[in-house]
Amino acid sequence: MTQVHLAAKVDISASYLNLIEWNKRPIAGSLLRKVADALDISLAELDNATEHHLLATLSEIARLPTLSALQIEEHRTNELIGRFPGWARGIAALARSERAAAARVQVLSDRLNNDPFLSETMHHMLTRIAAIRSATEILTDYELAADRRAQFNAIVHEESQALSKVGESLATYFDKAEESEHALKPIDEVEALFNARANHIAELEDAAQVLSAQVSGPRPRARMTHARSLAETELSPLIETLISEQPEMDGPLAEARVRHALINYAASAMVMPMSEFATRADTLRYDIDALAEVFSTDIESVSLRLTALAISKDVPKFGYFCVNAAGTVIEMRSIEQLAVPRYASACPLWVLYRAQQSPETFIRQRVVFPSGARFVFVARAVHHGPAGFGKPRHYQTVMTAMSEDDARKTVYAPDPNTSVEEVGPGCRLCPLTDCLHRVDAPLSE
Amino acid sequence: MTTRVLLAEDEPNISTSLTFLLERAGHEVKVETDGDKALETALSGWPAILVLDVMLPSLDGYEILRRLRDDVRTKNLPVIMLTAKGQREDRETAMKCGANLFITKPFSNAEIVDAIKDLATAVSE
Repeated sequence: MTQVHLAAKVDISASYLNLIEWNKRPIAGSLLRKVADALDISLAELDNATEHHLLATLSEIARLPTLSALQIEEHRTNELIGRFPGWARGIAALARSERAAAARVQVLSDRLNNDPFLSETMHHMLTRIAAIRSATEILTDYELAADRRAQFNAIVHEESQALSKVGESLATYFDKAEESEHALKPIDEVEALFNARANHIAELEDAAQVLSAQVSGPRPRARMTHARSLAETELSPLIETLISEQPEMDGPLAEARVRHALINYAASAMVMPMSEFATRADTLRYDIDALAEVFSTDIESVSLRLTALAISKDVPKFGYFCVNAAGTVIEMRSIEQLAVPRYASACPLWVLYRAQQSPETFIRQRVVFPSGARFVFVARAVHHGPAGFGKPRHYQTVMTAMSEDDARKTVYAPDPNTSVEEVGPGCRLCPLTDCLHRVDAPLSE
Repeated sequence: MTTRVLLAEDEPNISTSLTFLLERAGHEVKVETDGDKALETALSGWPAILVLDVMLPSLDGYEILRRLRDDVRTKNLPVIMLTAKGQREDRETAMKCGANLFITKPFSNAEIVDAIKDLATAVSE
């Protein structure tokens, strides 16, 4: 087929097709599909993902403000790829590695800032120090009667002991964190990847958009299953590139978890294309059940898809938690000020752990943490695994979390009379001493 | 000048010290250790100044402040917020809710006493 014939078949001019062939114009979406159909080849063959990716990466490097003094010849990037493909790949690999390392540093830094244990411990330490400082200043600055002096001496003594215990707990925490690092790595790897990209993977969104028309299947689970298999066959090179960009992936299990998460992400993006999903979600006030019906999919996928919505002041920021029957967190997208402890048990009062008592039912919970932060949780235990007579029924609980301010933009908005449950991040960090569910002493004691 | 100061603070050792300091400075002090109670006392009209800890049982300091600012009786009540977290967002939240001052723990005694004195002077003028 000549260039002119092909251009006519896909309704564009021959000169425009020529520009596309020489990588001087981008091609994606429906045009890419039309060309593939006209040539009777697969999308993967046509869209040489690796070369496009290489070109995009090198162009991005050329435009980096930090390198502007070098006056990199961006207009000659195609020539570099054509004449020195090895060097081009080498430069791109170095840039990806540098970007991944920076992202990793950011994730670790965010983790330190948002770790519930460290945040609560810091609060305890500052409170103890405030009490000691105030009492010692009184002892130094005022003439006091003997009983008053004894009272403030007792405060200094009591608070010093409490401070010492907090310090010990902190040291133990870091020891345990180091021991536990390996066991928790696979979940951490998935979270790190999504955190670094604010839960939104643009490359997969674009690629999934092209494939979304192919997804079929009348039943919710069938649609996601079909989409997953499409993602595996058609998007494998892109997914493997994303995995290779993750720094220091720790072992095959971590890699498999990340691959699984990316395939799921791509499948969700096919079943619920972002532009339509964002509009529908806004219209339906982020009603998970209603969205699942509109997109003929399951509520787990909708809950997870909500976390990928673009960050904006008008759009609520959603967190996602999934636990198995043993209460182990198997997937999470945390939001600011809210995370389950990594190295200890979480608070059993979270509806996340209660939902399995009423499977397949949405339960809403309005909570306040000891820090004063308020959230709304919406949890539902869903059947997981093969069904059939005589087969055990296993449930996983999925929970969507949002700040109370954000909840006001959704159907989950609590009215002012809805009771607020006091919950904590876990017993060791929780100052609520009269809690019947306490299994460990708080740090401040 | 005697001022009625309501101290909403659930850490007993901190409230003991602050009560001592404020009484020595000539003020009358009432302590509440629970958020709901603190709101009730503040709305009763008793205090001229409220020193409000952010983390309180049953109702946190931000929520108390929001409700006080929504009530015609207390919308101008001078409020000093106390918190152990000095992060920028905490300060921003406190100011957004309508705090007059924001003091972070650990504070110096002089910082609190001077702040109360300044607010008391401003109220009387």
